[in-house]
Amino acid sequence: MMKTFNAWLKTIIFYEILIGMKATLGHLLRYKPITLQYPHEKRTLPDSYRGMLALLRYDDGTEKCVGCDLCEAACPSRVIKVISAEVPGEPTKRYSKEYYMDMTRCLFCGLCVDACPVDALGMTREYEWAVYDKRQLRLNKQQLLAIGDRSFPVREKRLELQHPNVAFFNVAFRQMPPKEG
Amino acid sequence: MVETVKLTIDGHHITVPKGTLVIEAARQVGVMVPHFCYHPKLKPDANCRMCLVEIEKMPKLQTACSTPAAEGMVVRTATTVVNEAHKSVLEFILANHPLDCPVCDQGGRCDLQDFSHEYTPTTSRFIEVKRVFPKEYFSPLIETQMNRCVQCLRCVRYCDEVMDVKALAPSGRGTMTEIKHFTHHELDCEFCGGCVQICPVGAITSRLSMYEFRPWMLKRADTVCTYCGDGCQITIQTKENQLIEVMSAQGAGRNNGDLCARGFFGYHVSTHPDRLQHPLIRRNGELVQATWEDALEWVAETAIRLKLAHGPNAFGGLIGARCTNEDLYLFQKFMRLVVGTNNIDSSARYGQINGVRALRRVQGTSRWTVTFDDIVSAEALLLVGTNVTETNPITGLKVKEAVKKRQATLLTIEALEPAVGTISNIANLAAHHFSVQPDGFKPAVLGLIKAVVEENLVSQPLAQKAPGYVQAVSEAVRRLSWQAIERATGSSSQSFIDATRSFTRTARAVILVGQGVLRAPDGSGLTATLLDLLLLTGHHGLPGCGVAPLAEENNDQGAVEMGAALEYLPGPSDANDQAARARLAQAWKEELPKGPGKSLMEMIEGARTGSLKAMFIVGENPAGSLPPSAGTMEALQSLDLLVCQELFLTETARLAHVVLPACSYAEKDGTFTNTEGHVQSVRHAIELIGESRPDWEILSALSVLMGYPLEYGDAKEIFKEIRSLIPGYGLLGPAPTPPRPDQAVVESYLKTGYSSGLAERYTLGERRAASGERKDFSLTLLVTQTLFHSGKFSTRAKGLLQVQAEGAFSLNPADGTRLGLAEGDRVRVSNDLGEMTTTVKLQDRVPVGLALFPEHFDQEARRLLRVSTDPATQVPYYKSASVKVEKAK
Ligand code: SF4
Ligand code: SF4
Ligand code: SF4
Ligand code: SF4
Ligand code: SF4
Ligand code: FES
Repeated sequence: MMKTFNAWLKTIIFYEILIGMKATLGHLLRYKPITLQYPHEKRTLPDSYRGMLALLRYDDGTEKCVGCDLCEAACPSRVIKVISAEVPGEPTKRYSKEYYMDMTRCLFCGLCVDACPVDALGMTREYEWAVYDKRQLRLNKQQLLAIGDRSFPVREKRLELQHPNVAFFNVAFRQMPPKEG
Repeated sequence: MVETVKLTIDGHHITVPKGTLVIEAARQVGVMVPHFCYHPKLKPDANCRMCLVEIEKMPKLQTACSTPAAEGMVVRTATTVVNEAHKSVLEFILANHPLDCPVCDQGGRCDLQDFSHEYTPTTSRFIEVKRVFPKEYFSPLIETQMNRCVQCLRCVRYCDEVMDVKALAPSGRGTMTEIKHFTHHELDCEFCGGCVQICPVGAITSRLSMYEFRPWMLKRADTVCTYCGDGCQITIQTKENQLIEVMSAQGAGRNNGDLCARGFFGYHVSTHPDRLQHPLIRRNGELVQATWEDALEWVAETAIRLKLAHGPNAFGGLIGARCTNEDLYLFQKFMRLVVGTNNIDSSARYGQINGVRALRRVQGTSRWTVTFDDIVSAEALLLVGTNVTETNPITGLKVKEAVKKRQATLLTIEALEPAVGTISNIANLAAHHFSVQPDGFKPAVLGLIKAVVEENLVSQPLAQKAPGYVQAVSEAVRRLSWQAIERATGSSSQSFIDATRSFTRTARAVILVGQGVLRAPDGSGLTATLLDLLLLTGHHGLPGCGVAPLAEENNDQGAVEMGAALEYLPGPSDANDQAARARLAQAWKEELPKGPGKSLMEMIEGARTGSLKAMFIVGENPAGSLPPSAGTMEALQSLDLLVCQELFLTETARLAHVVLPACSYAEKDGTFTNTEGHVQSVRHAIELIGESRPDWEILSALSVLMGYPLEYGDAKEIFKEIRSLIPGYGLLGPAPTPPRPDQAVVESYLKTGYSSGLAERYTLGERRAASGERKDFSLTLLVTQTLFHSGKFSTRAKGLLQVQAEGAFSLNPADGTRLGLAEGDRVRVSNDLGEMTTTVKLQDRVPVGLALFPEHFDQEARRLLRVSTDPATQVPYYKSASVKVEKAK
């Protein structure tokens, strides 16, 4: 009996709607704007912001990426494609001959950055990447390096200068004949 | 009854044969004991200590890889103590291991990575600088990175124990041990790729595929190698339709995971840029690109017109034995039904037919009566003219295993001297070796038979059963004098007697017959004589005994069994066997063409004289294989219709009116039959290149246009038809059951069959002058197969070209001195037919008086050769010639 009455009461006073609009109604009374007037105003991004991806260089300008394909393997949405090869003119040294990222699919999870053994990938604070043609979001190595260049002006020293223990990591042996084909 | 022992491993009870190692017993119950230096193919070395396990009642941890299972043993592989041991071993290894994983081709399939993930903490107590070896150039195809070596010595042991090449050795001590090759220049070995496959880490990798892949990207296709009759199972690994690498897993196929250089490094042939991608048709004397429709219609129209004008026997068909059984079967069906002629031949004609003819004649089988397993467990092996390491490398490994691991007695009659060289030499393992000139195989075999007869070693049951046969053979060999045999072979009578004694003593004997016999005059007769030898010693018909002619091309055996020969119908049954004809006619719902048919040489002759007007040539290149003196070019040029199905524009294809692009083994499905008669599946690894098509599909399309449709949905349907026609033809499982000799045929051979041709078989033939007596500069030139190539086909594989890119004139250093020639000199080689200029290579293994030249690069050398045709088997012989050698100016 009591139950039926309560239900009837809730119906006539639009109880559910009031509950649903609680937050709105609350703000109606003490108004304080929270919308940023983007693009005139921009937010301060936290340090850990995960924005556009970039390929990085060492301080002498050489590419960091060694073409190990680990980012490709780590990526959950198959954004990355690495085509690895021997560096021309530097026998036994490995690099990515071609490197593609299909940013239309990226989740910005950062797993690729974690996977990279040489810290060749970075996440920048760039996010203004709206384009008219989504094909423009398929980035190649040059584009990704360019993003890195403008986002990371401070570069690391080469690996062998940082850790003498790994001095012989991915070095060229110029006395060796190059790999054919 | 095999003795067994019971033991317990991690709580699992298991019974294993006595002598089984604990690590193998553990594998059987599904417990993987981590290991580096252990490998089932190798003798235990127990050097890495990774496989330590706890065994009850033993005071210390034991190495599972070297401890045989014993009754009542209780083994634990995952206790704290064991895990601690694993951790320490790995910590020691990793103390010096570089952090190369990101650039190491082994990454993703590396035992050290896997074990490290499983057993080690991520930090190490070692902070010292790591060991770094100076980098040395190793070889063009095999790359070493010694900093990554865990010194398990698997590579060294494989190269020695399995391959018998001994190209690798450890140098230095302790952690500073490094794997090196012996010489100061680059590695020069068989390039079998075994060390690459067996290295548990990335210390030895393939330079050919370096940095092109990660293991998880690769798509695999288990298929069969196309380069020799051994029929190794290979796994072609591809990435996005690109051929990346070939490997073969332990336990896979008839080769048990071992490969030779051709199989391991020769795979790029399928994607060579010169591959024909479109049909070509001759217009105004030029071959120009055409559509499939145009090309096929033109062929069909012309063929129909010629058939109406000249009859079906104006057509000839030739097919290469690299094709699948399905291609071969459909080809002969096409020729027999659509065209209506028996003028069919295949490249099995170059030699395989000789072996099959002899087997059919004496014992009524078309295949071996032994398998590779019988070779391994043979007690005596006789190799005649095989050069087995170079022509059939995996058969060679079986021989090596029999001799090295099972102490079999090896007898060799080869054009080879025992000598240390960069590739293994079967003569080095022989207990009795007869080094002969190419014409000396027969005298040497007769020497053995003479010894059997004169030493009273003839099997008693045989003497009772077939006294007439024994007497006839005995008389024939008694007529030959020992002096003549000694002169012809250069070996003493005593050596024949000794060899025969050790051969007859054994219970299991296998005779391997190679190209030196099969591709030389009267190859069929000499193979029959070898069967005589086995009959006389009483081995014939016993389990595990038999004569085994080695197939050179991967599907030589299949070509014969599919009936791609004028004298055979599928089965093979004789072409004039009425019962077989009736059976086939019923299945095909059509009468078979009558008439004898023409063989390869007869077809060429027919084309030259104008009786043959048209030829279909599938995957075969007679203009490039036969010497110019055979007149093949001119003959083919005079045809009214020459259709070639080819991968490349070969010498023959260049003469064709229409060239149809066929696909290679890497793009095909079907089956190959290997030399021991094992039928194996071929599976495509990559998509068809360009517009190329499998050969059977092309033939099927042509048959439709020619008004006699032979239509099939896929290769499997053809295989089904083959199965229905040839009883027992199919995938015979892991080990084929070889046929038994047909007793009726053997008996009729012993009664009367032996007598035809007996006189010729039991004469020594003419003797060429031994070189010591030669005053002039003459040598015997032998055009042979080498380890690194297979026909001309492999000369388009970039990997193999890095090992051998051109031919050289190999001769004995003594001959070099006699002729004033040094290594690398340019020489002019000539005879009455022509001349060539080439480079000298001095090799101890080449007998004095002989010079070898690889057939793969014989464009010029062929000019010096003359063809003779076997009157009985129609096999063309053109492998050797007498030549004059002088230094080129
Ligand atoms: S951020 Fe995540 S989704 Fe994007 S490329 Fe990297 S791994 Fe892939
Ligand atoms: S993980 Fe790093 S080094 Fe490896 S391919 Fe990706 S970006 Fe290059
Ligand atoms: S051998 Fe194995 S552990 Fe060593 S660098 Fe190569 S992948 Fe890594
Ligand atoms: S190179 Fe490989 S197989 Fe050879 S010893 Fe080193 S780790 Fe073992
Ligand atoms: S060429 Fe012969 S031995 Fe070599 S891998 Fe191929 S089938 Fe095996
Ligand atoms: S595997 Fe047993 S000691 Fe190496």
